[in-house]
Amino acid sequence: MSEPILKVGDLRKSYGKLDVLCGIDLAIQKGEVVCVIGPSGSGKSTMLRCLNLLEMPDGGRIELEGREVFGEGKSKDLDALRRELGMVFQQFNLFPHMSAKENVTIAQRKVRGRDAATATERAVSLLTEVGLADKVDEYPDRLSGGQQQRVAIARALAMDPQIMLFDEVTSALDPELVKGVLDVLRGLADSGMTMICVTHEMNFARDVADRVIFMDGGVIVEEGTPDQVLGNPQRDRTQRFLGLVLDH
Amino acid sequence: MGEFFNIFFDFQIMGDNLGGAFTAFWWTIKLSLISGALSLVWGLILAVLRQLPGRPLAPIRWLTIAYIDAFRGIPLLLVIMLTAGGLGTLTAEGVIPRGLGIPQWFGLPDPFWYGVIAITITYGAYMAEVYRAGIEAVPRGQMEAARSLGMSHGQAMRFVIVPQAVRKVIPPLLNDFIALMKDTALVSVLGLVEMVQFGTDVYSETFNPSVYILGAAFYLVVTIPLARLVDWMIKRQEQKFQRGIP
Repeated sequence: MSEPILKVGDLRKSYGKLDVLCGIDLAIQKGEVVCVIGPSGSGKSTMLRCLNLLEMPDGGRIELEGREVFGEGKSKDLDALRRELGMVFQQFNLFPHMSAKENVTIAQRKVRGRDAATATERAVSLLTEVGLADKVDEYPDRLSGGQQQRVAIARALAMDPQIMLFDEVTSALDPELVKGVLDVLRGLADSGMTMICVTHEMNFARDVADRVIFMDGGVIVEEGTPDQVLGNPQRDRTQRFLGLVLDH
Repeated sequence: MGEFFNIFFDFQIMGDNLGGAFTAFWWTIKLSLISGALSLVWGLILAVLRQLPGRPLAPIRWLTIAYIDAFRGIPLLLVIMLTAGGLGTLTAEGVIPRGLGIPQWFGLPDPFWYGVIAITITYGAYMAEVYRAGIEAVPRGQMEAARSLGMSHGQAMRFVIVPQAVRKVIPPLLNDFIALMKDTALVSVLGLVEMVQFGTDVYSETFNPSVYILGAAFYLVVTIPLARLVDWMIKRQEQKFQRGIP
């Protein structure tokens, strides 16, 4: 195994007396697709949000390509970290006052410093890739949830991140719209993108993940290949959780 | 009853003073538009200062909050007197240059500018609170999405939060503008012959209040359509909201 692209050591986070993350250790290899599963309140979303410091962890280390970006309770290079990590949210969070195309160009121009023509070209090409070639000038309120989520994916990809973080990106979608978004994620995984997906889509995790992580109570309880964790879980808590979600 | 009507609606006096009333109301309009525009800008600056992030910038937040609390709690009339008296005295004592202390910028007289300064100071504080409500009404996820794309706090405010916030608060800002326009009457205390001072001048000549009624009509011609416009905008926003459009 080569040097991991992202390395997390003893990551901790509490809200007052409530410990949400109780020491997470994690190493992600380049090109790896990791799916994080677990009951609600297990800390999986918080972990994801701590990785790009939308939530400031209380302790631990985060290293990106061997460079420490968070340590000793403070961020070392917030901008560098966020440049390399793209994030997609459960609620899409598209900018409602901008068209799909503008949503995808704004950060390219203001953060990456690309000129309007270059940024627009990239935006249109990415929107085409996610199947929205005919929607580039639409505003979010005219798009379905699934379409909005695909714009949000294009928006994050436009920044050329090394790692993509997906926070339950299909949980707010109507069932018939889920597939379109998962197809985009599958394509992305096939293209070699490094991905961390917090998800409730067990079939997606089984098909696409290189590794599945089961979290509960702010710790990683069990991890391994999808076959190991989903097919033959070793720990009680994992078995109980999978029994509840896989039965229906 | 006829007597009563004749006292308040003496069309002879109104007609004789119509030209003067137009001139006076033009001062009211100029005062409103310039103070209004400056208050909109100053209020937005205050609102953004109030939202600055992080511990090191806390003193700026506190100062801004103190400013807003103070000027929302002081009568505008007092601020007008304080501005005129303060700047006048500072000039007389030689502390500040005459061009600053007795401003006659763009050929407009100093009572006008004292009024503009005092109204902007006060209404900037009111409007800052309106903007704040708008900023706080933008969902948290918007700031998170902007920051996750690598934007700084300032960029996120400028390109994502403030444009959405301003759209939400245009109706209440217009309401504040209507109130501001009526409050320009207070500048009459400095001797600027705007609508109210003109009415007083005519009253002291004729002992008849009809020109006050004429002045009220001038105000209503502007304020009623503005109020209707605000209602219409609010209704339109509600319809959008009901259709589920953010």
